[in-house]
Amino acid sequence: MRKWMTGVFLLGAVLAAGPAQAQDAETLRKELDQMKKQFDDMKREYQKAIDQMSERLDRVESKPQQAATPPVPVTIAQVPPAPAPAAPSMPSAADLLRPREPYALYGAGGRGQLLFDVGVFGDFIGDFSDKSSTPFQPLATFPGQAQRFFPREVEVAIYGAVDPYARAYVIIEAGEEFDTTNRTSTFNVELAEAAVTLTALPWGFQDKLGLMRVRYGLLNEYHDHDLPQPDRPAVLVNFFGQEGLRESGNELSWVPDLPFYLQGIFGIFNGDNDLAFGSASFRNPLFTGRFRTFFDFGNFGALQIGASVAAGTTSQGLSDTILGFDAKYKFTPEGWRHPLLTIAGEGLQAWRFNQVTNTSFDPETGEELTTTTKQKTTPFGFYVYAEVQPFQRWLAGVRYDNSEYLQLSGRQWAVEPYIAFQPSDFLRFRLAYKHTQFLGAASANLGGPPGSQNINEILFQATFLLGAHPSHPF
Amino acid sequence: MRRVMSVALVGLLAVGFLAGGTAAASKVKVVASLPDLKSLTEAVGGDLVDVDSLARGPQNAHDVEVRPSLMVKLRRADLLVRNGLGLDPWVGPLLLGAQNSHLFPGSPGYVDASVGVRVIAPTGPVDRSRGDVHPEGNPHYTLDPANAAQVTQNIIDGLKRVSPENAARFEEQRRAFLARLDEDMARWQKAMEPVRGGRVVTYHQTFDYFLNRFGLVFAGSVEDKPGIPPSPGHLATLIRLMKDEKIKVVAAEPWADQKAVELVARDSGARALVLASAVGAVKGTDTYAKMIDYNVNALAGALK
Repeated sequence: MRKWMTGVFLLGAVLAAGPAQAQDAETLRKELDQMKKQFDDMKREYQKAIDQMSERLDRVESKPQQAATPPVPVTIAQVPPAPAPAAPSMPSAADLLRPREPYALYGAGGRGQLLFDVGVFGDFIGDFSDKSSTPFQPLATFPGQAQRFFPREVEVAIYGAVDPYARAYVIIEAGEEFDTTNRTSTFNVELAEAAVTLTALPWGFQDKLGLMRVRYGLLNEYHDHDLPQPDRPAVLVNFFGQEGLRESGNELSWVPDLPFYLQGIFGIFNGDNDLAFGSASFRNPLFTGRFRTFFDFGNFGALQIGASVAAGTTSQGLSDTILGFDAKYKFTPEGWRHPLLTIAGEGLQAWRFNQVTNTSFDPETGEELTTTTKQKTTPFGFYVYAEVQPFQRWLAGVRYDNSEYLQLSGRQWAVEPYIAFQPSDFLRFRLAYKHTQFLGAASANLGGPPGSQNINEILFQATFLLGAHPSHPF
Repeated sequence: MRRVMSVALVGLLAVGFLAGGTAAASKVKVVASLPDLKSLTEAVGGDLVDVDSLARGPQNAHDVEVRPSLMVKLRRADLLVRNGLGLDPWVGPLLLGAQNSHLFPGSPGYVDASVGVRVIAPTGPVDRSRGDVHPEGNPHYTLDPANAAQVTQNIIDGLKRVSPENAARFEEQRRAFLARLDEDMARWQKAMEPVRGGRVVTYHQTFDYFLNRFGLVFAGSVEDKPGIPPSPGHLATLIRLMKDEKIKVVAAEPWADQKAVELVARDSGARALVLASAVGAVKGTDTYAKMIDYNVNALAGALK
């Protein structure tokens, strides 16, 4: 109010200044003095009113038990209406210069409000194995980073409504890459995801386009900090790489108006994932599909089952099709803030053609002969985990992995018990022990020592979130 | 592979025809994020609406899981009534999963019931060192029956948008509901009159609006900070405070850590009460008026 009054006063003074040049200076001075006096009187009155209100507020806050004055019967209709929203005022220079906390960027209200939400995630990993010598480095869960504590993923997520017809999000992430030869680490910042979802399509359709983690199976969509264990299950790493299936393209999804939940997703992408596909072009696109449905058993928990497919072309121009099935069961007792029991698993079967070059020698001439043939491989892998959370802050679980490799021969299995401590919804610590066994030629093919090998690791994970309260996905 | 894709596409279309065949009912299908809003919508919508709730009464509304079974409810709804103020952030991912274009913010079928409500704003700077505090203000405004006027106004504004032909009926039903609530309010105020100024410890700051309305005073919370479970040190301090100030009641939501509540009550000599934090949270509170009734009777009795 005072600012407004000052503004009015200054404006008046400025407007008055123009014609004043032509008037008698003495008259103007008198008018100006009179206005100053009026302004000072007004200021005093306002200050008095503010002081009185502050005193009353202090009394009420310091002696709340004495605030019980005889009640005046209030009817619902007499309840005063909510105050009209205050006119936005311009931030001062000091406001603009003051550093803003990340939290202040989120949510409604107040100065500095943005038209989108921001979340910042930090995820740190320690990978300590019993076999730290160089030959075993490729066998570690985080190859090349064994015996290190490092920032795996620090992520800034920006999300919100674009307009009444679309929502969008952008995720930028940074993580450490460690050069084992020079013993130096570098931090790469990259665009992890950026996509827009058209939400106003009719008949239950939605279209998402951009760079995204493909909705394939249970966990591919999850970023590393959101995974149920410190590391990604082996089958997902072996089939899609450490980054998972992340592609640029388009996903059309449909939820028909049925008495039960059924979602169908159809996607078309470049096929940039060089481990599974690698055509990297819409001339030979990667097609994906997913169905999922859900059964709510009320007091007995809930079950989600899904099937996914990804069919594309490899960099050799040959086909690769990966079919996946997944299921997840959760039991949350009535009134609990968290599930007591979670059991989930996912299996992937691939049908992949590889070009195999055979070399032989002509028995007559002794000349070297090279022939190229198409060879079909059908690698398979799965994981299953169970988790119990008897207390809000503590949970424990175990995961079993068993997986072949998409391009290599051999197999690996692992068992990984873990515990987690969550002081709040914004901070979490995990500790896991992981025993991995490499069978057949797996170790040698990965760059480790030949023959069957095993490795034992302790994985430590610390994750924080700055920003809005996260929702709890099923 | 193309054959598989074709079969899948044909299957999808078949499901679509089946889905399209389900006859649209004449009632307005409303989904409320919380049971209080369901009850208020039923009160002003009468037999013109068919209302469902996403959260259940005894559930902690902060922690509702994003289940596809809830997406089904939203997929089939004409109107969504949400609490807002950060209490039901899970509505966002549910809306995305439900894929019902009529319910997104800005659409005619979207109602934020908190619009225009006098909100208890947080004092001082807000950050996470104060726990899971809501920067927009305390979101439990439905527990003040005086707020029902503004909340039902928001609801019928939404109902009138999706069912304009019934606008007069909605207005009439709202007036009748508020008149009944006025009578109840007089009765509740009379019942609370002898205990005005009474100090109450609550588990979470769920009941601030309720306490303010009836002249009671919030004296502290069992949880350390909003959303942070109680630590032994905090409980010891709270027990000492309750003994010193002779606080008679520690009230909790059904989802609260009842062991901690009972420990505080036992060691401080106070009485532990489970109040209805929402419609249907405890037995016999299946309507909005019954919920307020229950809380008034429980607190008036315990503070005597």
